[in-house]
Amino acid sequence: MTLKECYEKMEANYDEVIGRLRSERLVQKFALKFLDDPSYQLLITSMEEKNYEEAFRAAHTIKGVCQNLGFTCLGDSSSALTESLRSGWTPEADRLLEQTKADYQNTVTPLQSLKDSQQ
Amino acid sequence: MFLRQSYEAAYHFKEVSFLIMRKPGQNPRILVADDSEMNRAILEEMLGGEYDILQAENGVEAVEMIRLHETELSLVLLDIVMPVMDGFGVLDEMNRTRWIEEIPVIMISAEINPDNIERAYELGVTDFISRPFDALIVHRRVVNTILLYAKQKKLINLVTDQIYEKEQSSSLMIDILSHIVEFRNGESGLHVRHVNLLTAMFLRHLTQHTEKYRFSRTEISLIATASALHDIGKIAIDEKILNKPGRLTTEEFEIMKTHSAIGAQMLRDLPIHQEEPLVKVAYEICRWHHERYDGRGYPDGLKGDEIPIAAQIVALADVYDALTSERVYKPAFSHQKAVEMILAGECGTFNPLLMDSLRGLAGSIQEELLGDNLVRANQREMRNIAEELLRHKELTASERTLQLLEHERMKYSFFADLTKEIQFEYSISPSIVTISAWGAKHLGLPEVIVDPLNNEKACSLLSATDWQRLSEAVRHTTPEDPNLTYDCLIHYIDEPRWVRFVTRSTWSLEEPPQYTGVIGKAVDIHDSQLRLRKLEQMASHDPLTGLLNHSAAQEQIQARIEDAPERNYALAILDLDHFKAANDTFGHHFGDRVLTFLAEKIRQGIRSGDIAARVGGDEFLIFLEYKQDPEPVIQRIYASLRGEYKGFRLSVSMGISTSEDCGTDYDTLFRTADSALYTVKRGGRGAYRFYNHTMERTLSTITPIENQTVKEER
Repeated sequence: MTLKECYEKMEANYDEVIGRLRSERLVQKFALKFLDDPSYQLLITSMEEKNYEEAFRAAHTIKGVCQNLGFTCLGDSSSALTESLRSGWTPEADRLLEQTKADYQNTVTPLQSLKDSQQ
Repeated sequence: MFLRQSYEAAYHFKEVSFLIMRKPGQNPRILVADDSEMNRAILEEMLGGEYDILQAENGVEAVEMIRLHETELSLVLLDIVMPVMDGFGVLDEMNRTRWIEEIPVIMISAEINPDNIERAYELGVTDFISRPFDALIVHRRVVNTILLYAKQKKLINLVTDQIYEKEQSSSLMIDILSHIVEFRNGESGLHVRHVNLLTAMFLRHLTQHTEKYRFSRTEISLIATASALHDIGKIAIDEKILNKPGRLTTEEFEIMKTHSAIGAQMLRDLPIHQEEPLVKVAYEICRWHHERYDGRGYPDGLKGDEIPIAAQIVALADVYDALTSERVYKPAFSHQKAVEMILAGECGTFNPLLMDSLRGLAGSIQEELLGDNLVRANQREMRNIAEELLRHKELTASERTLQLLEHERMKYSFFADLTKEIQFEYSISPSIVTISAWGAKHLGLPEVIVDPLNNEKACSLLSATDWQRLSEAVRHTTPEDPNLTYDCLIHYIDEPRWVRFVTRSTWSLEEPPQYTGVIGKAVDIHDSQLRLRKLEQMASHDPLTGLLNHSAAQEQIQARIEDAPERNYALAILDLDHFKAANDTFGHHFGDRVLTFLAEKIRQGIRSGDIAARVGGDEFLIFLEYKQDPEPVIQRIYASLRGEYKGFRLSVSMGISTSEDCGTDYDTLFRTADSALYTVKRGGRGAYRFYNHTMERTLSTITPIENQTVKEER
């Protein structure tokens, strides 16, 4: 699997990210690193513990990383989640969390495949 | 986020291995503060080739990093949303410590909230980089910002160096240099300083008094500084000639004369700084400070205005200071003598404009030279600033206002002193009373009292009642009718005195006006008050006997009845039997003394609450209050009036009316008592009688009082 195929699977914009970061090597390196990023786990835990302040920061971090790596889908849903948590919990937050969870899975599964195919 | 740390742990970041310092070396250092390790890594990847990257994962770590690497940091890339302390917290700290002035900050954030962006700019960030990162943009912004700051720092250093060089080194070096020259000359160390001061004085005077010359303060300072170099050429002159006590031979003098050209040449030979204004002016001064206005000087024989004005002035200053200083070949002349000699043309020919300046400055030169110290310099500076300000036309209006104000103030204090009045000004907020100098001294109070209403000494001056009434009266004034007069006693230490407060309340210009305080004065009216009281006394009393006169008695009696109409009163009118005979026999003076004697007896006979008055020539009135029967009191008083004055036996007739019989109307009481008296007189005198209705329609016994204008008599 190539990086480009991976991005297509994620419904992410490969051309855009290469245009910005200017190096396939760099993009691939950080894209794969996303699998190890603890922010998603922190988001899930914080939501379960109703620590919405921490959840906001975690969602914000995911959003920032996704924007940088061009993970459009997850970036959009985490961005919406971030806004719903900016001033504490709001009723949309739970629904948006589910959306973020689904998009996260849709993002990490192709990334994992890419990682596996590299080894 | 890789690390989850408490606030405390964050302070001990050095033990934690998040700190990644790459290739410490000559590369500029950048601190990346972002809670996402991914983001930090991406930035590091983008910039790592050319910069050393330091990392912090929250605000507290970032602040610690800046503290540690302050001077080495070229840039901070700062995220907004971070745990422990966010980006704004870091900016606040950087503002508090003023790092923000030294270290540029670029904010990195996906934040698009305009409030946050504005707040960040207000806190001093240089630029924003928004996510998602564009490698080119990040790189360009970082490079630009670092270059910009580096350039700015370099410029600051450059300017600082130049200023330092110009203002400090140059004047210091010139001082040292000129002292060397003086040392060789055997001159006092003050010569250069004096020439400097005199040069500046002449330059200022020319600027102020001639059309021809206009020197800015910078030019004056430059020329004065350059004047110190006028004799540097003497370095090349043989010490034997330089310090020869006697007269120089012609040859020696020719050698001596070379010093001006030599000094100029030394400056001309300077390898650098030829274009410096200081060097140019110094050259003129060195070369031509021995030229003469009439063309008979050296080395070039320049004439009149061919000689640069700077050199002309230094020449004059040099001559003046040489005359007034002791030299190996001459004693010191007095200031007066030196000025006379120069003006008389004994020491060379000078520009007539400079001679005018010398005349103009003659009175102040000595003082200026003697008082040359820091304070004087500062004062001069102040004056210069003031002069500078005066040149601006837009300031003339306010300056005129200030002059008027100063004039008013002078007038006020002059008149305040002259009038010997206690003048004061009270403002409620802040609560301060200011008392005129004379008034404060007179009252034994300070001129300014803060919170006077709680000042024990101030409060003790008036009685509590007077304070209360006065402040109430003031509070009841209005902007339309702000004036007030209030008389009361001021309790001085030695004696109380009557004063009249004349005040005017002050009001703000707001709508509606707010009461802001009081201005006023307390005039001593003690003497006039005493005179007034005396007049009142005189108006209400009979001058001969000191008893009340009729109208005063009537007023008091009516007031008494009005106060308590239910009580019983008796009014008695009495007269002296055979008084006309006594007058005729012994004369008026005797008669007067008899009346005075009787009045004294009446005064002693009545009780303290009773009223006694003289109502006619020899008629008196007694008014008293009684409980049930007036007779015992009347009888006792009547008995007390018997006696003898120098052989003249006092016999008194008395008629009495009571409120029980005749009512409380004064006129009725008086008329009925008068009728009763008439009845007694008719019945043989020497007795008293109470009025009864049979006495109606009798005549009055009252005779007019002699030598007295009686205000009102029936």
